[in-house]
Amino acid sequence: MSHETATTTDERSLFGYTWQRLTLYTVLAAMTVFYLIPIETGLMTAITDPASYTGSYPYLPPLEPLIPGTGEFSLAPWQGALDGLGQGLVNSIILVVPATILSGLLGSMAAFGLTTISWRGQIGIYILFVAGIFIPYQAVLVPLTQFWYNVVPLQAAFQPLAALPLVETYHWKLVALIITHTAYGLPICTLLFRAHYKKLSDEMVEAAQLDGASVATIYRRIILPLSIPMFAVVFIYQFTQIWNDLLFALTIIQFGDAAVVTQDLVGIGVSQSGTNFPLRMAAALLAALPTLLVYIFFGDKFAKGVAA
Amino acid sequence: MAELTLDDVTKVFTEDDGNEITAVDEVSVDIEDGEFLVLVGPSGCGKSTTLRMIAGLETITSGEIRLAGQRINELPPAERDIAMVFQSYALYPHMTVRENMSFGLEESTEMAEAEIMEKVEDTATLMEIEELLDRKPSELSGGQQQRVALGRAIVRAPEAFLMDEPLSNLDAKLRATMRTELQRIQNDLDVTTVYVTHDQTEAMTMGDRIAILNDGVLQQVGTPLECYHTPNNRFVAGFIGDPSMNFFEMAVDDDRLVVDRFEYPLKPAQQEAVAGKSNVVFGIRPEDIRIKEPGGLSDNYQFEVTVDVVEPRGDENTIHLTFDRSVEEPVTFTATVSGLRNLSAGDEVVATFPPDSIHLFDVDSGVALHNRTFEEEDAEAVEQVP
Repeated sequence: MSHETATTTDERSLFGYTWQRLTLYTVLAAMTVFYLIPIETGLMTAITDPASYTGSYPYLPPLEPLIPGTGEFSLAPWQGALDGLGQGLVNSIILVVPATILSGLLGSMAAFGLTTISWRGQIGIYILFVAGIFIPYQAVLVPLTQFWYNVVPLQAAFQPLAALPLVETYHWKLVALIITHTAYGLPICTLLFRAHYKKLSDEMVEAAQLDGASVATIYRRIILPLSIPMFAVVFIYQFTQIWNDLLFALTIIQFGDAAVVTQDLVGIGVSQSGTNFPLRMAAALLAALPTLLVYIFFGDKFAKGVAA
Repeated sequence: MAELTLDDVTKVFTEDDGNEITAVDEVSVDIEDGEFLVLVGPSGCGKSTTLRMIAGLETITSGEIRLAGQRINELPPAERDIAMVFQSYALYPHMTVRENMSFGLEESTEMAEAEIMEKVEDTATLMEIEELLDRKPSELSGGQQQRVALGRAIVRAPEAFLMDEPLSNLDAKLRATMRTELQRIQNDLDVTTVYVTHDQTEAMTMGDRIAILNDGVLQQVGTPLECYHTPNNRFVAGFIGDPSMNFFEMAVDDDRLVVDRFEYPLKPAQQEAVAGKSNVVFGIRPEDIRIKEPGGLSDNYQFEVTVDVVEPRGDENTIHLTFDRSVEEPVTFTATVSGLRNLSAGDEVVATFPPDSIHLFDVDSGVALHNRTFEEEDAEAVEQVP
């Protein structure tokens, strides 16, 4: 007993913590700083007056004239970012919300049909779904352009809808993008939901069948309510994917009024007179904000879904 | 409520490599209106497959299933008006007990919401789960979940109940209680019930009749006592009863049976039954063997044996006996005696195999050639004793 006490006292070295612990905390603190500095720098840059930015330390708060060499505080970059990205943000929301919900819902339905209900040949169909995950983006870019601009007369078909309030002519491009993202997201959503549905008890579904429920009712009243944690996972994943996508947007929307936020972000704050770093930083933070909010709101459900 | 008929029902599964496996082979049973039939057999004997075919969860390869005289082979489960209780209970985890119980009525009937709620509450009262109605299945104990699963089946008032080992997830004590309660409820409701179990005690105690399956083939259908006392074959004889019947393969020598360790004289009727056979299987139930203190053999049905192992059970002891302990692998058999009999390993005793209590089976087919003396009147008299 006394021996043990002696060893413990030896190990305690500084403020009652062992060396091991102190090392651990030091490393953790260093890593925190390392990871947060880029974001902190971005944030500080975004609130610096562009005129006083050049030559200042970007990671210090803009406290001129109090501390020289740090730049002057200003919210002008945010104003500029809002003006520059406003249209893109709206377009992105019009794109992301339906595309996310559609790919999640259709993925869940496909997984239900391929997992819970058994029929001949379902494995073959499922393999086709999975194969979809492995088709590289680059391979479909040219066919996609051809498809939406030359094969499907979506632009003409959309024309009458433009008469509706709040609907603009150029929205047809967003519809094309919604369908593209839904189709491209379907395989991974199906895969995620299938993994979840395989764990549900077969006897429960059989009990529902005996209770008189049709396939549609089993989905709506049994499977759908039990899929909520998985929906959180799929929604966060798809939302981030689609919101951050630039390649499909460049391919299908190309340019013009329908441009989404990632497209607008490329050119903002760049001119012949130089790069407006505070404006670019504010725009980048603004464009990243929605994905951040989604993580904050659905984070706990996400964790539950991943663990489930 | 209706009678359920299985007519040459067969199920063949085709494996991925093209192999065909016959899980259920031409099973025919008539289950009367309100009858409690227990389908019993070892695991993999096809009893659950049979039940699932009745429910419509498996297709029927050949044969016919009729409910109230109507062929139901092609009907989907939803249209068969049959309720099933699963081994895992299969409750809907996101619904309260009330929602679990009302689901079937909402989906299969046009009943008004108020009427459904009334029926759910009545059934909950019957099952003594009224206080649990607003809880979720995850907040219930195993026994409570079991009651909800039963209640969910009962509330629909179906033509027939199917139960797939519903008590096997409960602890022994609760299982015994639920066994009695299930019988009481089935009796009150008077609904045709098919109950699947691998537990021969459940089969014996619960069924109006029991149907014994082995390797997909129906071995015998009869009242528990019929199956116990007059088994059709060696499989039924060995499966029903705990501890199992003792079997000895013996040679037929005119008016007696002979094996290395002992000889057994046959009565005239028994001789007739084994006529023409060179070997038969001799069977006797442990409780029919009488054990007395050593001291002279008074007739040819008595043998000098040695106690090998004693298993006390309280009310009775199971004793393992052998004709000769000195042999390398002695032939042992079991007998049950009163729990108060003071016997221990190594004791020399005399065992009597009463000639009225023996069974004789064909060696190859296992078919019963002769069963013990058993009159149906006796059985009814026995049933009326309590």
